[in-house]
Amino acid sequence: MTKFGLAQPVRRVEDPRLLKGAGRYTDDIVLPGMLHGVVVRSPHAAARITAIDTAAAVAVAGVVAVFTGADLAAAGVDPLYSAVPMTNRDGSAGANPPHPALAQGFVRHVGDPVAFVVAETLAAARDGAEAVAVSYQQMPAITDPARAMDEGAAQVWADAPHNLAFDWEVGDRAATEALFARAHHVTRLTVINNRVVASSIETRGAVAAYDAAAGRWTLWANTQGGWLVKESLAAAFRTEQASFRIVTPDVGGAFGMKIFPYPEHVCLAFAARAVGRPVKWLAERAESFLSDTHGRDNVTLGELAVDGDGRFLALRTRNIANMGAYLSTYAPFIPTFAGTIVLASVYGFRSVYANVLGVFTHTVPVDAYRGAGRPESNYLVERLVDQAARDLGIDRVELRRRNMVAPSAMPWQTPVGGRYDSGEFVRVLDAAAAKMDWSAFRARRALSARHGLRRGIGLAYYLEATGGSNSERAEIVFAEDGFVDVYVGTQSSGQGHETAYVQLTADRLGIPGEQIRIHQGDTDRIPVGGGTGGARSLYSEGQAILLTARSVIDKGRQAASEALEAAAADIVFEAGRFTIAGTDRGIDILSLAATQRARRARGEEATLLDAAEVAAIDAHTYPNGCHMAEVEVDPETGVVQLLRYIVVDDVGRAINPLIVRGQVQGGVAQGFGQAVREQAVYDPDSGQLLSGSFMDYALPRADDLPDIEVELLEIPCTTNPLGVKGAGEAGAVGSPPAVMNAILDALAEAGVADLDMPATPEKVWKAIAAAEATSL
Amino acid sequence: MNLFEYVRPASLAEAIAAGAAPGAAFLAGGTNLLDLMKGGIARPSRLVDLTRLPGLGAIERGPEGGVRIGALVRNADLAHDPDFAQRFPAVAEALLSGASAQLRNAATVGGNLMQRTRCAYFYDPASACNKRDAGAGCAARGGERRLAAVLGASEQCIATHASDFCVPLAALDAVVEIAGAAGTREVALEDFHLLPGATPERESVLAPGELILAVRLPAAAAAFARHARYLKLRERTSYAFAVVSAAAALRIEAGAIVEGRIALGGVAAKPWRARGAEAVLSGQKPERALFRRAAEAALAEARPVGDNGFKIELARRIVARALALAAAGTPARLPALPASPFAPVPGGPHG
Repeated sequence: MTKFGLAQPVRRVEDPRLLKGAGRYTDDIVLPGMLHGVVVRSPHAAARITAIDTAAAVAVAGVVAVFTGADLAAAGVDPLYSAVPMTNRDGSAGANPPHPALAQGFVRHVGDPVAFVVAETLAAARDGAEAVAVSYQQMPAITDPARAMDEGAAQVWADAPHNLAFDWEVGDRAATEALFARAHHVTRLTVINNRVVASSIETRGAVAAYDAAAGRWTLWANTQGGWLVKESLAAAFRTEQASFRIVTPDVGGAFGMKIFPYPEHVCLAFAARAVGRPVKWLAERAESFLSDTHGRDNVTLGELAVDGDGRFLALRTRNIANMGAYLSTYAPFIPTFAGTIVLASVYGFRSVYANVLGVFTHTVPVDAYRGAGRPESNYLVERLVDQAARDLGIDRVELRRRNMVAPSAMPWQTPVGGRYDSGEFVRVLDAAAAKMDWSAFRARRALSARHGLRRGIGLAYYLEATGGSNSERAEIVFAEDGFVDVYVGTQSSGQGHETAYVQLTADRLGIPGEQIRIHQGDTDRIPVGGGTGGARSLYSEGQAILLTARSVIDKGRQAASEALEAAAADIVFEAGRFTIAGTDRGIDILSLAATQRARRARGEEATLLDAAEVAAIDAHTYPNGCHMAEVEVDPETGVVQLLRYIVVDDVGRAINPLIVRGQVQGGVAQGFGQAVREQAVYDPDSGQLLSGSFMDYALPRADDLPDIEVELLEIPCTTNPLGVKGAGEAGAVGSPPAVMNAILDALAEAGVADLDMPATPEKVWKAIAAAEATSL
Repeated sequence: MNLFEYVRPASLAEAIAAGAAPGAAFLAGGTNLLDLMKGGIARPSRLVDLTRLPGLGAIERGPEGGVRIGALVRNADLAHDPDFAQRFPAVAEALLSGASAQLRNAATVGGNLMQRTRCAYFYDPASACNKRDAGAGCAARGGERRLAAVLGASEQCIATHASDFCVPLAALDAVVEIAGAAGTREVALEDFHLLPGATPERESVLAPGELILAVRLPAAAAAFARHARYLKLRERTSYAFAVVSAAAALRIEAGAIVEGRIALGGVAAKPWRARGAEAVLSGQKPERALFRRAAEAALAEARPVGDNGFKIELARRIVARALALAAAGTPARLPALPASPFAPVPGGPHG
């Protein structure tokens, strides 16, 4: 086994650099003559702007320029638009309102950008921002998605009546209705999927520079892949994509939120061109809460039809999904295509019908957040299954086992568009139950009861569908200094991509991992890339690396046949050496590459080994697994303590089990945060964000969590040659329902049947108190 | 434009003179004030940095067994002072249950008393707040009031005081030493913070220019050391303010409570001493039913605002449990998670 072998728990090669402070983040970009930008944001959730007076701001010492929406409009800069507006179920087009980088007469959420102040120093820019006088005429606001369609609710967009962005459906409605009509039992549940804030440790930021002679911008920005930003900026500035170079330095956390083009990118590009100097903007934490896309925020009715044998017949859902004030890039896609594809989960539903209503509210736009639609669907399904088990008096594990799709049924086509290539759901479920010692829970509950505590155990079987761009590129270059450079089209924000790609390249080319360098994040150097999101990176970029490595080897075989004076067909490649079959005559790949490069340098005929390939990603993958949680609830105070958490995961082959575990543990913690701690709270009348800082918005901390035990059952994916499925989102998909099901189990004997996230002490305690009051 | 002057006085007299100017604010640890300034909630025209003033950084044991804690003593230094923690364990526990390790390293004793409310509307300059802007109105009244005060609130303000430290101090008869232009004076900690009434912008008895020199605990406070606890209910295991909290201290002789002390946090604009509840304890045998009666008395005057009635019952339970924990005896070492409601109560409902 080599140090960088596949399936090895190789320590992350990027960590020494990042941990020693040698990472280079967006805020580390400092250019000569660089100015600083500050965004003036709306303090109101809904208002008409009657006047903007920038005179006092321009007069502030150090302020270079102040821009408003009028400046952008006059220069012909277009608003941003969602990339995926929906088609309504009646065939009409869903809404796709403009998202101006700076307000055009109206503001629609607290934090909506109104003006952009550029100054010599950050302090001067802040002073300038404070001096911008904006006159607002306040209007009524709506923040609650469940009330957004009510008669008389405040309207976010005049041409979107009832605040309806789209009314979308998937699945066979008639067939579903028919199955419901003959169901033995129907379980109904309305769940709230709480709005959360991504809270990456590095806030959003960017630096823009404009080269007037070339007519070209460079934008350094913390993205999840600069190509989408490039495309969007080119559209906004009505120019060629080639006019933009997007460079993504190291990124400190993203979780989906950094995928998108944002108003600040437009402001920076505009300002850099207008003033002829580079401009930097970096969000303060308070700004992040008010301007980063939020996640989730659904209110969903789910109905599960079951026959007399406890077999699931059909699933029907009606989901109200809060879009926020504008349609962010992928926002409409999240609760629709991305979310509903996993609605059938691992169960053999005969029919599924989903209706999704996207609604506008005066809140920060919502978009992809770790899992993006799949956690919401899994949460609904797993809560419904638990409720059905209680309704029918069937054991929760048994009910799931009874309804799981068998491995022999693979590939399995679901009623909502999924095509599962592989999966052994019952095996994974049983492994989890054994690991958790599920059957001995009763004794543990009794022990807690002796201490006055209510103990609960819960599980969730999740199924995730990875997604993203349908192609990916890799380029392998044998550099002059003897290193091998690999250029990738994905973008790490902390996942450990560099390590996994080094492992793959080392394995395929037989090159020591220490001599491989991974490069990402420059749209000039790397012409196309799908970026990172939807847990796609390893299976997508991995395939591209495989394809490119094969191309390198083909070229190497040709070069070796010339160097070794043998027929190409007789050359074999193994463990980094090209040899003539049946002999010990050969040359190692690095020496061969160096020889060829030297020949080329001398002007001689040479076959360079460098190669670039774009792999088509024909099928996406279906990671799945079983989460189990055990909790103790203090009935006197409502405090929930997570005692034990286990995951048995099928994320396919693990190229690096250490990184997979880290990804799953991080995801579980994030999902636990949503289940028990986190909630973006808006004041219902004024639309002010009340949880606008880390004092009011409770992220989980280390002492909230036990060790998260992760076991990997590697059931290879059959639709890609690596057999990998993806692990980036999985943890966050499984943990909210597992934790909530455990809490509800703990509270069941107290008479609590339903509870929405986050299960804060107050809500838990109130639920217990309400149940006690009812039972009196 | 938030232009302000920064002065670093060399003497107490200079500090008092500099701090008396309108718009002046004293700066010590800065853990609250700097955040408020960054958020545009506090806009002092002058910052008077006290951190270089001599003589305010000592923990001194008094001749009769009390302690005098200088205003600039850092929270962490006080909590980890072995002699102090042993004699006033509930105070140490309260300190360690607050904020984060980094903040405790910076935050000072005086600053802890002077910290502002965590009311979300106070922190949002776009919302009306009588505390921030006298006479502007109170957006919290008609808003999200979950964490609002249930004791001593007024029409004008329903904010709470966020300190953990002040809660056992109030229970243990701490005294605040104050210096001003007219000399020094002393105020019981219980009287130091003001209830909002019609003037919620006035939060303490300090006059402009007056500053805190020290906080004193009397010798009698150390007599509770064997039965003193602080218990804090919060929405996250650490680094969170109290939803409700309670300090309980008992003197138990021959199986009976000679004297009991109770104060609550998170329920009012000041640390709330519950003297009525203390009277219930006197001379009684320490047992669950008694603690529950004391808890009822402690919250007798509590009134919900909106739908936050849950805080009243939670506070009762926290008081009863703090008393049970105190009766069981102060642990030899502070628990790893100080003030956690998950601490087992020996012999109690969770023992």
